[in-house]
This record gives sequence, structure tokens and C-alpha cells, in this order.
Amino acid sequence: MSRLGPIYTLAVGVVMTAGLTVASATASPQIQETAAVPAAAGGADPLATPEATEEATPDATQEPEEVAAPEQEEDPTPKKADYAGVVDQNGGLIAISIRKGKVVGYFCDGKIEAWLRGTAADNTVTLEGKDTLVTAALRGGKAQGRIEYKNKSWRFSAATVKKPSGLYRATAQVRGARVVGGWIKLPNGQSVGRIMLGENSGEAAAAFDGGVQEWYGIPLTPQDPDQFIDSFLSPAAPAS
Amino acid sequence: MSHTQVAPQNRGAVAALVIPVLAGGLVAAALGVYGELHPPTGFAYGLAGFSGPLAMKVWLTTLAALLAIVQVFSAFAIWGKIPVRGSWPGVVHRWSGRLAFLATVPVAFHCLYSVGARYDDPRVMFHSIFGCVFYGVFVTKMLSLPKRGLPGWTLPVVGGLLFTLLIGLWLTSSFWFFTTIGVQF
Repeated sequence: MSRLGPIYTLAVGVVMTAGLTVASATASPQIQETAAVPAAAGGADPLATPEATEEATPDATQEPEEVAAPEQEEDPTPKKADYAGVVDQNGGLIAISIRKGKVVGYFCDGKIEAWLRGTAADNTVTLEGKDTLVTAALRGGKAQGRIEYKNKSWRFSAATVKKPSGLYRATAQVRGARVVGGWIKLPNGQSVGRIMLGENSGEAAAAFDGGVQEWYGIPLTPQDPDQFIDSFLSPAAPAS
Repeated sequence: MSHTQVAPQNRGAVAALVIPVLAGGLVAAALGVYGELHPPTGFAYGLAGFSGPLAMKVWLTTLAALLAIVQVFSAFAIWGKIPVRGSWPGVVHRWSGRLAFLATVPVAFHCLYSVGARYDDPRVMFHSIFGCVFYGVFVTKMLSLPKRGLPGWTLPVVGGLLFTLLIGLWLTSSFWFFTTIGVQF
């Protein structure tokens, strides 16, 4: 046996690692480009969820409709609004949905993600998630603000969006682990998403088309914020 | 590994192990420190052909574990514990070992670069520790192979340790995936 054989083996491993490092460091963000979402028309909603149709009609005004008797007559904060947009520099997407003062949000660039929860008042939203803090001002139909993720900070501007654009979340329980998927879809067809298996394993999601997403044979049914906000914000729900 | 019970005449032989063991220890410690300090990127380049990086890792680890079983039997043959004729067990042992090692490289790279070492869940904690120690022991074995006059137990012990660690890695990753998600490509 060549005395150098084992050294060559180690060297090949080192070279492979170096190649993977270079390839990974130069890989582009995992934002999926698909055809632009067609203008939402009543019958053309691609979402299979039964609740989809009632939301499909676009609102002509940028002021979101009120869904309940307003409790705070003075507060100009929208009672119901959905925002989604690109995070500057990072290139990922962020989505923020307001429902009667409660706010859910999601930030994802395919590689990193954060589920966010918070409050809205006086046209300002504040959201928190794991390693993440988001603050934004609501004006002119936009949410503009800053996201702090670990020790990084990026600005973003998210415009009002209507279904089928916006934020989606799906959860499923498999034997011994929880699967949580998150997706953001923009009106221009960009989408991003990530699916986590338990707390420690996850990967970027495929291009999002709105329907049931199959992930390793697990059917994931994306829900819009109207559907998931209560279970997501209730204390009983496991943090994700 | 305790060296205290080695007979005095073997002291020189054991001394030859110092550098391989030290180098292996340094590699294991370096991987652990990297896994702890490097901010996880959530993404790493890997092999194409699987539906996702999890599937890639699960199947490459399974390939390595199967090759590790080939390693055990070819090692038995080399040491005459299984009677075979010819020198092919040595060839099989070397090449199945190289393939197994190379199959683990994209997996470990994804683990350390994309995820990092974690200790918050027993499965992940044992997986992190086994993974770092595995490469340390592998370096020890590769540096021991060309050396003459090592104690006779060196390669069986180090090889057995590698097999045990790799099976532990498979159980805490692929086996977990197969029993949680199912057998998916």
C-alpha cells in the first residue's frame, strides 16, 4: 500500500470541503421567480381553500375594510391589512398582516427565517420573533421600517397586497415532530418559503403556487393569516 | 484511550500514536468550535438529484453506513477472521472506506456550515458530538495507517470506534428521518 494513500484520502476531503465552501458562499438567495400573479378576479383564485373566495375581490381603496366594530375610534391603524415586500440588501421577503390590533409577520430569504408576532397601534407595528425585531410605520398603504436579525439590520418597504399574494403558513404533525412551512408571495410573482422539521432541521421551499405543498410526502395546506392568526398567537401553540 | 496498562516494551510503539491522536483531537475540537461559533447560514451547496438537502444528507449518510458495514467485514477478512484467498479484502476495505468518507463530506459540510452544532435536543446534541469526534478519529486513523510498529490493537480499536460513531450518526439523523417523515427521496 502506498504510504501516502491515506494522506491523499484526507486531501480529497479537504479539497471537497473547500469547493463546497466556495460554492455555498457564492450561491444566490433562494427567491423563486414565477409568472406574475394575475389580477385577482373573483373566479380565478387559484387557492383551493374554501375561505379563499370571500377574500378574492380586490379592495378599490387602500384603506383596508373593517371587519369588526371598531373599539378605538381614534386610532388610525388599519383594522385589517396585509403587507409584503422585499428586504433591502438582504434580498429576502417580509410579510406583515394586521388583524384588529394583533399582528403576525414572517421574514424569509430561503436560508434564514423568522416568525413574528406583535401589536399595531398609532400606525406603528412592532413585531418580535426568535433573534428578530421588526418595527414599521404604516402610511400611504405601505409598511416601511427596519428588521433586526441577530446583529444585522436591514430596511424594508412592504406595500399592501391582496390574495393570492401575501403570507401563508402551514403546520402538520408527523410522528414525533412538527412541520411548519412559511411562504410569502408578491404580486410580481416572486415567492420565498422555508419548511422546518422540528426546531433544527429545515430547508428552502419550492416555488409557491398557493395549493397544497407536498414536502417529502407530507401534504401541507397553506393558510392565510385569517385562518392561522388565532392558533399562531394563542399561548398554547408551540413557539416556532 | 488510556495508555497506562501498556507493557514497558510497547512504550515506543504507543509513542508513535501521539501525533495521530493529537492531530485527531485537534480536528475534532476545531470542528466543534467552528460549529459553535460560525453563524448558521441556513443554506449550503450540496449534491443535486435529491428533492432537498435533508434527503441528500439522509441518503449519503445511509450510503456511508452501508459502506461501514462493508468495512467491518473486509477488516475481518484482512485480519484472517473470515477465511478468504487473495488480497482483495484490502482493496475492498480501502476503497469502501474512501467512498464512505467522501460520501460524508457534503453531509458534514451542510451540517456545520448551514446548521452548526446544537445542544438543545438530545438527538441533535449526540449527533453534533459524534460528528466532530468522527472526523477526529478518522484523521487519527489516516495518520496511523502509514506508520510502522504501532501497537497491534491500534487499527482494530480506531476502526471499531469509527464504525460505532458512524452508526451513531446514522441513527441520530437518517434513522430519525425515516421514522419521522418516512422513506423519502
